[in-house]
Amino acid sequence: MPPVSEQSSDADLLRAIAAGQTAALRLLHHRHAGWLRARLRRRCADPDVVDAAIQDTFVAVWKDAQRYEEERADAAAWLWTIAVRRLVSALRGPAHRWLSSLSGELPDVGTTPSAEELVLLGVEHGALGPALDRLSPELRHLIEATALDGLTVREAAKLLGIPEGTAKTRLMRARSRLRELLT
Amino acid sequence: MSEWHLDPELFEQYEQGVLNPSRVMAVEAHMSACATCRGRVPVDITWLTGNWSIVFDNIHAPQAGPVQRLLTRVGLPEHRFRLLTATPALRWSWLIATLSVVVLAVIAASLSAVGETGGASRLFLVLAPVLPVVAVSGAYGSGIDPMHEITGTTPSAGPALVLWRAISVIGAATALAGVAGLLLPGPGWYAAAWLLPALLLCTGTLALATAWSLQAAAAALGGLWLTGVSWVLGVRSEVFIPLVFGPIAQFVYLAAAAAAVAVLIRRRRHFDLGESR
Repeated sequence: MPPVSEQSSDADLLRAIAAGQTAALRLLHHRHAGWLRARLRRRCADPDVVDAAIQDTFVAVWKDAQRYEEERADAAAWLWTIAVRRLVSALRGPAHRWLSSLSGELPDVGTTPSAEELVLLGVEHGALGPALDRLSPELRHLIEATALDGLTVREAAKLLGIPEGTAKTRLMRARSRLRELLT
Repeated sequence: MSEWHLDPELFEQYEQGVLNPSRVMAVEAHMSACATCRGRVPVDITWLTGNWSIVFDNIHAPQAGPVQRLLTRVGLPEHRFRLLTATPALRWSWLIATLSVVVLAVIAASLSAVGETGGASRLFLVLAPVLPVVAVSGAYGSGIDPMHEITGTTPSAGPALVLWRAISVIGAATALAGVAGLLLPGPGWYAAAWLLPALLLCTGTLALATAWSLQAAAAALGGLWLTGVSWVLGVRSEVFIPLVFGPIAQFVYLAAAAAAVAVLIRRRRHFDLGESR
């Protein structure tokens, strides 16, 4: 295992982490903690919960880095999926959880960008922008949680604090409403 | 998308939450796809180091072993587990209890191999109730625990600590003796016949320890049991098992144990330290 440096790619860092190099985890943390924090803070107002979710994320990465598959997912997207799921479980977990009592598994999903996400990348210049702006907030939050954050409907419901059935109906309504607005 | 990048102004607006929802989503989608823009996100270095140090501590923290995970699942809080495992003296008493039981089982098996089934079972029934008492006597006190002076000054010293330790050693000793009892030749109920006498001797020791030191109490009660049983064995050898382990005797043991528990609860304030009463 060659030594890692600031210039190493995320995949190299993750391989080094799987081989037990703390320095690689430190580099990965310093590279990604900032934007993860900025993005998580838009989903949770409590900074302590956000910080704990980020810590949980990197502890989980340390334990399970060998499960990362380079060809299936981009490292940043993989990290984000873990982080947002940690946030969801932190929001609904017992209030004062010990960090060491993590029992959740890492998500075993491919994190290639979905079709909806690819569309969102072009939101600056298309008709989708205005359509999304005109969507009511509760519908938009669901689109955001499922299409952008890569959560399942159940997890999205937890994040937003609504029943799963309600989330399903709202997501369906959001999709048909978007279709209407775009045609 | 490669031509378009987040400028600092746009990112600031994103952080302040003043962007249109669609632009927020565009910023996020772009961030997850573009390493350059991720790198440009301004980071508070103090926060970053603090967050990292917690991660670092956490990955270097000792891992919970399988026993601890099992006990945690059963409902034992983590600090209790630390309390019980952080005492070398306690581990020794466990070890002694374990060894005695194993040796006893071996003796029993070898005796029965020669053909003296009755002798082996009797030996087991006489000695098994004393085992947990031996374990308890090593659980607390100035002569046993090298940390006793320090332990004694903590708020958790006294009844609570004695009982926690007693429970853990009794549990270990009882489980091992139970296994040995099941392996023993003879009627099936032999395997359980010693449990009530053991309960009586343990609770009795703890009750007596409110007046004497734990070791003295254990020695007194253990000695009393051994002398009494040996005397019965010598005088009424032919009815030894029904007399000492029969239904009536078992009921008496249970009643006496209940009485000992009552004394223990009443006098728990006297349960201070293993010395200078």
